Amino acid sequence: MNKTKRFCAIALAAMMAVTAFSGCGGTDTTSSGSASTTPADGTVSVEGGDNEDPLYGEGANGTISLKVWGPDAAQDLLKEQCAAFIEDMKPYGDIEIEVIPQGEADAANLVTTDASAAADVFGFACDQLDKLVSSGNLLKVATAEKETITAENSESSVKAATYGDDLYAYPETGDNSYVLFYDKRVVSDEDAQTLEATLAACKEQNKQFVMDAGNGFYACLFAFTGGLEVNGLDADGVQQFNDYDEAKVVKSLMAFQDLLGQYSDIFVNGETTKVVDGFLSGSVGAGIDGSWNFASAKDALGDDVGFAELPTIDIDGEATPIVNMFGYKLIGVNSSTQYPSTSVALAMYLTSEECQIQRAEQLNWGPSNKVAAEQDVVTSDAALSAVIAQSEHSVAQVGVSDKFWDPMKVLGNRVVEFDDPFTEESAKEILDQTIANIKG
Amino acid sequence: MTFIEYKALSPAQKAQYKIKEFFSQLPSKLGSFFGAIGKFFKNLVLGIVAGFKGFGSRFASGDMATKLSYIVMGFGNFTRGQVGKGLAFLAAEILYIIYMVNFGLVYLSKFNTLGTLETGQQEDPVTGRIVNVQGDNSMLILLYGTMSILITFLFIGIYVANTKSAYSAEQSLKAGKKNPTLKEELKDFLDGKYHVTMLSVPVVLISVFTVLPLAFMILIAFTNYDANHTPPGKLFTWVGLDTFRDVFEASEGASKSYTFVQLTKWTIVWAIFATFSNYIVGIILALMINKKSIKFKTLWRTLFVLTIAVPQFVSLLLMNQMLQDDGVVNLILSYMHLPTVSFFNGTALTARITVIVINMWVGVPYTILQTSGILMNIPEDLYESARIDGATPVVQFFQITLPYMLFVTTPYLIQTFVGNINNFSVIYLLTSGGPSKNPNLYQAGETDLLVTWLFKLTMSSNDYNTAAAVGILVFIVCATLSLITFNMSKSSRNEEEFS
Amino acid sequence: MIKSYKLSRMISDIVIYVILAILGIIWVSPLIWLVLHSFRAEGGITVPYIFPKQYTLENYKKLFTDTSVFDYPRWFLNTFVVAVFSCIISTLTVMMVSYAFSRLRFKSRKTFINIGMVLGMFPGFMTMIALYYLLKAMNLTQTLPALVICYSAGAGLNFAISKGFFDTIPRALDEAATIDGATRNQIFWKIILPMSKPIIVYTILTSFVAPWCDFILVKIIMGDNRDNYTVALGLQRMTDREYKQGYFKQFLAGSVIVAIPITILFLKMQNYYVEGVTAGGVKG
Repeated sequence: MNKTKRFCAIALAAMMAVTAFSGCGGTDTTSSGSASTTPADGTVSVEGGDNEDPLYGEGANGTISLKVWGPDAAQDLLKEQCAAFIEDMKPYGDIEIEVIPQGEADAANLVTTDASAAADVFGFACDQLDKLVSSGNLLKVATAEKETITAENSESSVKAATYGDDLYAYPETGDNSYVLFYDKRVVSDEDAQTLEATLAACKEQNKQFVMDAGNGFYACLFAFTGGLEVNGLDADGVQQFNDYDEAKVVKSLMAFQDLLGQYSDIFVNGETTKVVDGFLSGSVGAGIDGSWNFASAKDALGDDVGFAELPTIDIDGEATPIVNMFGYKLIGVNSSTQYPSTSVALAMYLTSEECQIQRAEQLNWGPSNKVAAEQDVVTSDAALSAVIAQSEHSVAQVGVSDKFWDPMKVLGNRVVEFDDPFTEESAKEILDQTIANIKG
Repeated sequence: MTFIEYKALSPAQKAQYKIKEFFSQLPSKLGSFFGAIGKFFKNLVLGIVAGFKGFGSRFASGDMATKLSYIVMGFGNFTRGQVGKGLAFLAAEILYIIYMVNFGLVYLSKFNTLGTLETGQQEDPVTGRIVNVQGDNSMLILLYGTMSILITFLFIGIYVANTKSAYSAEQSLKAGKKNPTLKEELKDFLDGKYHVTMLSVPVVLISVFTVLPLAFMILIAFTNYDANHTPPGKLFTWVGLDTFRDVFEASEGASKSYTFVQLTKWTIVWAIFATFSNYIVGIILALMINKKSIKFKTLWRTLFVLTIAVPQFVSLLLMNQMLQDDGVVNLILSYMHLPTVSFFNGTALTARITVIVINMWVGVPYTILQTSGILMNIPEDLYESARIDGATPVVQFFQITLPYMLFVTTPYLIQTFVGNINNFSVIYLLTSGGPSKNPNLYQAGETDLLVTWLFKLTMSSNDYNTAAAVGILVFIVCATLSLITFNMSKSSRNEEEFS
Repeated sequence: MIKSYKLSRMISDIVIYVILAILGIIWVSPLIWLVLHSFRAEGGITVPYIFPKQYTLENYKKLFTDTSVFDYPRWFLNTFVVAVFSCIISTLTVMMVSYAFSRLRFKSRKTFINIGMVLGMFPGFMTMIALYYLLKAMNLTQTLPALVICYSAGAGLNFAISKGFFDTIPRALDEAATIDGATRNQIFWKIILPMSKPIIVYTILTSFVAPWCDFILVKIIMGDNRDNYTVALGLQRMTDREYKQGYFKQFLAGSVIVAIPITILFLKMQNYYVEGVTAGGVKG
């Protein structure tokens, strides 16, 4: 009951904001009335002004059949949610949904290869947004839905789904990032606060510390901690950066190299899969790994597993929080779908508060929905609260060029090349080269 | 010079002879190669001209039925007792028209611009829904346009053949001869025209599934199909040679041209080492296994051949796993108190040596299988006399075995060399091009070959046009090399003895 | 004198045995590692020691029973069917083309040979997107016949080795047959093919193995239709980041199962392979 109340309040607030800002008098906002007559999830009721049918008449011409893609891990829940959606939409039309397992990483490639064979509604990671938008494969989010989404989801998750001035996707999770994973028998919760103590604790028991410095997604933390930030793309698709302090970034790079270099015997630069694998075999004490491995880390260590936001690192005598890149999982609607309105309604439903809470409960996926993020299931979970804490100091993975990753990878590899220590000049040089090559 | 004469020379003379021979033949080889290419195109043009020759005069001198078959294909044959043939021509015409009207013309008409209407989305002000207005898809226009052009060429060929056939049917009737029936003509396809029977199906398959995609790919190099022009959302169009200029024009930072030069160098180094390391080690092992006094030959051979039987991507992924910093190999090294090696994350040199060595693991078994037979054929008296001279096995290897093998298997070596230039799977599965150390390489790592680079260009950064251009350049080099060697090789020369 | 000759020969033999043994071990050890670890019970992707501590059949059992995500048995069957069909078509095409180029004389034969030689040298995956849309125009995408077409359509280009082999069969045989009134069709089926067992086996072998190894093309053609995957793509999928942690041991087990039939086939047919490739290709 409490939930619905809160939802209505937000919905109303959104409505008011909309009418106030756009002054769009034509839209008949009898939201309270329609909210009570439409299904519990509510999201579908808010859209579309005087049109009561959330499917916009698509149900009139026989059965609507949709194809939905989601990752293997989420199959069962996704099927349940789709079934619930079908049930909710019964009054407006018969819907058939085929749920097909398809990983988020590959989804964009498949859609761009052949949109007509792809799913109508599909999940993808936000770094694929540019590609999907520029190839015209995503159906833009209409004003009505855009308002709901903006009101309900965290600002940065909405930003992650935005390209130019338009919203192109529906935020599904707010957790596509990485934090510190550790074995509590090796690294105490207190040690996990600072990188220095974490490494020392690992070394003491001769356990490895794993990080994938040869991957731009992780390696960018070396530079981001020093204050570098991505700042969208310009009209030609060239990556823009914030007005960063070069000296500080250089110091950060040098601090990381210096510290990790002191522990070069236990520092492993390798794929993130080595973290959980090492937990299983007992060779790894701590590592930096992504939220999608929460479950397998819990399976590997049971109660001994610890998660925390990335630790601080001492730069110039100051404990600086490590800043990382923070991504989101989004749901997109294929622009060549036969049933755009039904697909939109489904995408809205799948990203609603209700569904996000279900995912948090069953899959350990952190929500992007503001209300869902405050639920007990999220706040009491060590892993999810670590990600949410991390999001406080992170750079959103928004408007990141395809050319970003490769140079960042080179930079990361350079930082962990301990045999060839940085001088201030050489660190500055590689930073300049990296920036220049990303702008390419 | 025969091999025996060549054998009589001293090592220094041999080297001199080889080098002199190579360079003295190079101009003529290249010359004759380009001459041959020139001739090919000349013949092509001449052939086309010859095909059309008499096109007009046949029309003028032919009777009504022959004239009519210029419009209704097969009419001439149909009225002169060749019903089957006539119907076949007519069917070809009808099929072509149906194809063009229903499918081909749409794409062909946009081929010069590759589409003008961009896909766009608009919000319907009444319903508040987004409407997707599907525009032109440049890629499909290019692909199906190319297809239509090839089909049109084919049709023109059939059309001209139809006029010829109609005319000759008329002439032979006039001369009082009977035209062959369909059955008789078909029978000829099992003997006199057997090559047509044998080649038509493969040629059709290859044209559709190899030549057509290839033509499409080559054309892409002349467009601006890249990450900013991806269909169906965006259009791309013809840009002439701009892409090639990008590949060749030097510029600051991580440029395509710098990457192209660096990768070309490494590709050549790789191809040389990969070819010769496999070749020499393979021959040595084959010699050892086949030595008369060695027992358990089958066992030894099987040990090596086993690796061929495991699918390559499995064994390479496995190798990748074993050579990780914390993989089995380093584990063994640390058990033996040796320093561990960072095979794939260390220096460029380490990674390059690693891939060459692993490539030996992959390739040597093939060499063993392929060279065993020839090794047995080396005249025994060569070794006999060397042994009398007191030559050690090592000397024998370098003075007899290797020169003999090189003499006999040069074309094979060149083929392997070309194969290694295009050796995608070893690099892709082992290192994926890594380690990434050089900030000036555009979308490439230290062990990337040109061919893996263009895979990355298509798959991750969507630079289709650059990839196509690089592909064309690699193709030209490989094709030139293999055409020269094939046409110089014994098999190509000898076969003329038969004809 | 003779004694020392014998002695040195013995020493050299021993050296050779040692070298062969060491190299032999190096060559098969990854395969042994593969087999051993496919039975490993503990750990995930790797373990920090060489020999597994516990052995189990679980990995194999899961491969065939736990088919909700990775339907290995079905993919195995798919691959087998594709391999059989593409192998039949490829072998026929290769034989036909090679025979025509080796035995028949016709206008622009040389040109055809030269074009055929170089066509296969263009990096293949560049054309995959075009291939996909051609197959789509024929309504064949996401189907197994599409794979058969892709693997066997270009087979005609691999005529070099078998043409070389046919070249070594004396022409006098053809001439004698022609005098006896045999057509070229009859010569091909009744004289040349029966004499070409090694090269036929070689061609069958290479074309049968190809579908078991390719995963790049299948990925594009099959899209999201997992039912029609082949084992190669399935196995490759198991090593994707998303699945590697949970499925790596099954990947090892799956690889062993793929390797078994190919290995048996290969070891049985080895001699033909050697004969075919030596006569046809290497000697040039």
